[in-house]
Amino acid sequence: MEISQTEEKELSVDILEIKKEILKMIWLAQSGHPGGSLSCISLIYILYKNIMNIDSNNPNWEDRDIFILSKGHAAPALYAVLSKVGFIKKEDLFTLRKFGSKLQGHPTKNLKLGIEISTGSLGMGFSTSIGCALAAKLDNKDKKIFALLGDGELNEGVIWEAAMAASHYKLDNLIAVIDRNGIQSDGSTEEIMALEPLADKWKAFGWHVIEIDGSNIKDIINGFEKACNTFRKPTVIISYLIKGSDVSFMEHTKKYHGKPPNKEEYEIAITEIDKQIKRIQGDL
Amino acid sequence: MSNIPARDILGKFLVENGDKYENMVVLSADLSLSIKTDIFAQKYPERFFNFGIAEQNMIGASMGFAISNKMPIVCGFSLFTTGRAWEFIRLACHDNLNIKFVTTHAGLVGGDGSTHSALEDLSLMSCLPNLNVLVPGDNVEIEKILEYAFNTPGPFYIRLPRGSLEDIHKKDFTFNPNSIDIIKEGNEINDICMIGVGSGSSIAIQSVSKLEKDLNISIKIINQSVVKPINIKNFISRIKNDKCILVIEEHNTYCGFGSIISRIVSENCPKYIKTLGIENSFGQSGSRIELLDYYGFNYENIKKIILDLIKS
Ligand SMILES: Cc1ncc(C[n+]2csc(CCOP(=O)(O)OP(=O)(O)O)c2C)c(N)n1
Repeated sequence: MEISQTEEKELSVDILEIKKEILKMIWLAQSGHPGGSLSCISLIYILYKNIMNIDSNNPNWEDRDIFILSKGHAAPALYAVLSKVGFIKKEDLFTLRKFGSKLQGHPTKNLKLGIEISTGSLGMGFSTSIGCALAAKLDNKDKKIFALLGDGELNEGVIWEAAMAASHYKLDNLIAVIDRNGIQSDGSTEEIMALEPLADKWKAFGWHVIEIDGSNIKDIINGFEKACNTFRKPTVIISYLIKGSDVSFMEHTKKYHGKPPNKEEYEIAITEIDKQIKRIQGDL
Repeated sequence: MSNIPARDILGKFLVENGDKYENMVVLSADLSLSIKTDIFAQKYPERFFNFGIAEQNMIGASMGFAISNKMPIVCGFSLFTTGRAWEFIRLACHDNLNIKFVTTHAGLVGGDGSTHSALEDLSLMSCLPNLNVLVPGDNVEIEKILEYAFNTPGPFYIRLPRGSLEDIHKKDFTFNPNSIDIIKEGNEINDICMIGVGSGSSIAIQSVSKLEKDLNISIKIINQSVVKPINIKNFISRIKNDKCILVIEEHNTYCGFGSIISRIVSENCPKYIKTLGIENSFGQSGSRIELLDYYGFNYENIKKIILDLIKS
């Protein structure tokens, strides 16, 4: 799918607008994970907007594609996209993490809202996606299963158990997307538990590996398209991203992994993102 | 003003005792900043091991350390440590290894919600032979219990909350696993003996004087930090004169401390006993105050349960 420059710019602006929403949600909740929510938003948004077959009026639709946020702590990113595509009411976003809210701190299964399964305990969502992919094959359904993983999450042994199973069963309907932002909770992934050479690891596990620049919209779309047209192998998209991206003081740091911005930080963050939106729109 | 969070007490204890326990190694699964084991890591980098987000491997490795004459202190969130790696812990207990599992974020966790609450860990841990299961009731007791566990060979599970505990002891408190810790004396015979576990003890303390006045009853409170093994003889001798028992614990009621105590009491000196815990739920997001209130840890509900007990 070729997209025009205007479309590309519109997507960029949407992504920045969603980032503002995420920041507001986490700021109002005064808890949550800004760094890893901001990093992966481009991937989730483009999946829902341009790639996946879904219908917010029919969340039970049997032939729908499935998205599983295995890195469940990026819940605000998922909720904000689900709101943008019609599953969640916008005003509900700001009840995040509050008592009585449907929007729990981590995704809690709720098909009406487009949440396929509860996640948050890292590693489990990826195994779930293997089961979905096997079931789709069993039913002869032409549907895709997408799982978004954190790079720190790849430390979990179950990830590699699932990776083995996926290539064993030739799950070409399964696409794993890795938010390769390079930082986990305690520090950089290479310092805490080295992952590199990451692409080689997945290749050795029998996967088709695609590496993309996760902040380049064309790259993301191309990556997904290639993945959707891969046969007899599962595909992993290693997406190079920036933790906390587009908020200068949240970028490339573990500091805002699990810490909300205070009021002043929130306001600075919004001003920074607004500036970027203006820049792109001035260009439109 | 609220107290210092439990994890800060833990972090401080570890770093201050690094020289005393030379064979101690501290293990983490990408949560050293959250649990404050990072200060130990800075001072003793050669004795700190971060396994990344890999609880099973961390605990498997702790077993290797233990059979190599080290004393591994395994630190993590209560849910992920006990839940993800349960069978590893089972085998460690099976071989009676000298491993100390110290976890934080037990009970209701606030905003993180149901997927992160640890309301089942006491069930998972209390069924394991050899394992000592201890739940400190306040900051003084955290230190005393850590000290006791570090000086006593064998596997220990020490359960701490995400936030802070209210003070229930004087500074000179000493911990003895065999003695029963009465934090509010009653009469010779009491209408109610409240037994708190962890945060349950301060919840009991907070409501007691009003309950005694409003209901015109006498109440004794025990802080039962020893979930396992309980010195049954001593325990029974301290509750035998009381008419009824109310257990308060931030855990689910299916197989928590209330179940354990109900069995011990019914087998040794039967009397009415109820448990205030979390009924049939995995928890949810919300502030701590809202959640405690919602799950019935409030004055009105405690009063209602006690009235029911007295009537029976
Ligand atoms: C099983 C499990 N262990 C620990 C945690 C606590 N935790 C939440 S997020 C996180 C770090 C995740 O790092 P990464 O996967 O790289 O996420 P990102 O940087 O994309 O936010 C940790 C350790 C958890 N949620 N689940």
